Amino acid sequence: MNSQPTPVERRIRIAGILLIVGLLVELLTLRWSHPTAFLFFLLMGGALMALGIVIYLLSLLTAGNKPSTE
Amino acid sequence: MAGMTTIITALILISIALIGWLVLRPSITTTRGGKMLAFVAMLIFPVMAGGMGASKHLENSKSTRFCLSCHVMDDYGKSLHVDDRSLVPAIHYQNHLVPQEQACFTCHTDYTMYGDINAKLRGLKHVYAYYIGTPSQPIKLYQAYNNRECLHCHLGARSFEESEAHTKDPQTMPRIKANQLGCTSSGCHNNVHNIQLLKEATLWKEQAK
Repeated sequence: MNSQPTPVERRIRIAGILLIVGLLVELLTLRWSHPTAFLFFLLMGGALMALGIVIYLLSLLTAGNKPSTE
Repeated sequence: MAGMTTIITALILISIALIGWLVLRPSITTTRGGKMLAFVAMLIFPVMAGGMGASKHLENSKSTRFCLSCHVMDDYGKSLHVDDRSLVPAIHYQNHLVPQEQACFTCHTDYTMYGDINAKLRGLKHVYAYYIGTPSQPIKLYQAYNNRECLHCHLGARSFEESEAHTKDPQTMPRIKANQLGCTSSGCHNNVHNIQLLKEATLWKEQAK
């Protein structure tokens, strides 16, 4: 049994971790009524989530480009 | 508003649970069902949560509590409670002429097509000044207060249209409406957030509801 993750799986893991951290930041800032909360939400949560989504989308693209074995 | 927070919280928690599963078992994305799950959990749900969260933050930023959460605004918040009928913000706040929970925003937004966005961009400028620069004391508006913001509510109101001070001179009303004669800068309604006199002022005690 091969336990080594493929590059696509690795990217999905990285994207997932970034998304989870971004979502946690959003969750924490939701109940905090202060301008700093909005900045955290936008600059930290938003950036992490955007990066996670981009990495996930890239993993979809690379998954479709399987290298030729010939 | 609390309902919206609950929905966003639930969406975030579901997203985290699904993404967590994908992080632990990324091999499931090789199946058709796994691919669909990943698409929903890693794209659709986070985009929805982000959009709804941004909307919630924007809505929240209109609240009086939000504006007064920076201590530099403390005196301006207190000025809403001054027991003085000539103080324009105080009579608006105390008599519910503006919604108390959105008192600052109601008078300090621009009543134009992109007024809310402009107001929020100005808000980001305030945050920059608060953390990086030095806020001027007393705080000054970036530009003269526009009559448009007053007229948004007062235009057409009998007390405004029939006021002797506004109608005595036939030139006055057109000049007010054209923003050539400032409501707050012409000397007529210029008692606004007079925080220099706050120490001597008597504060209105709001009755418990």
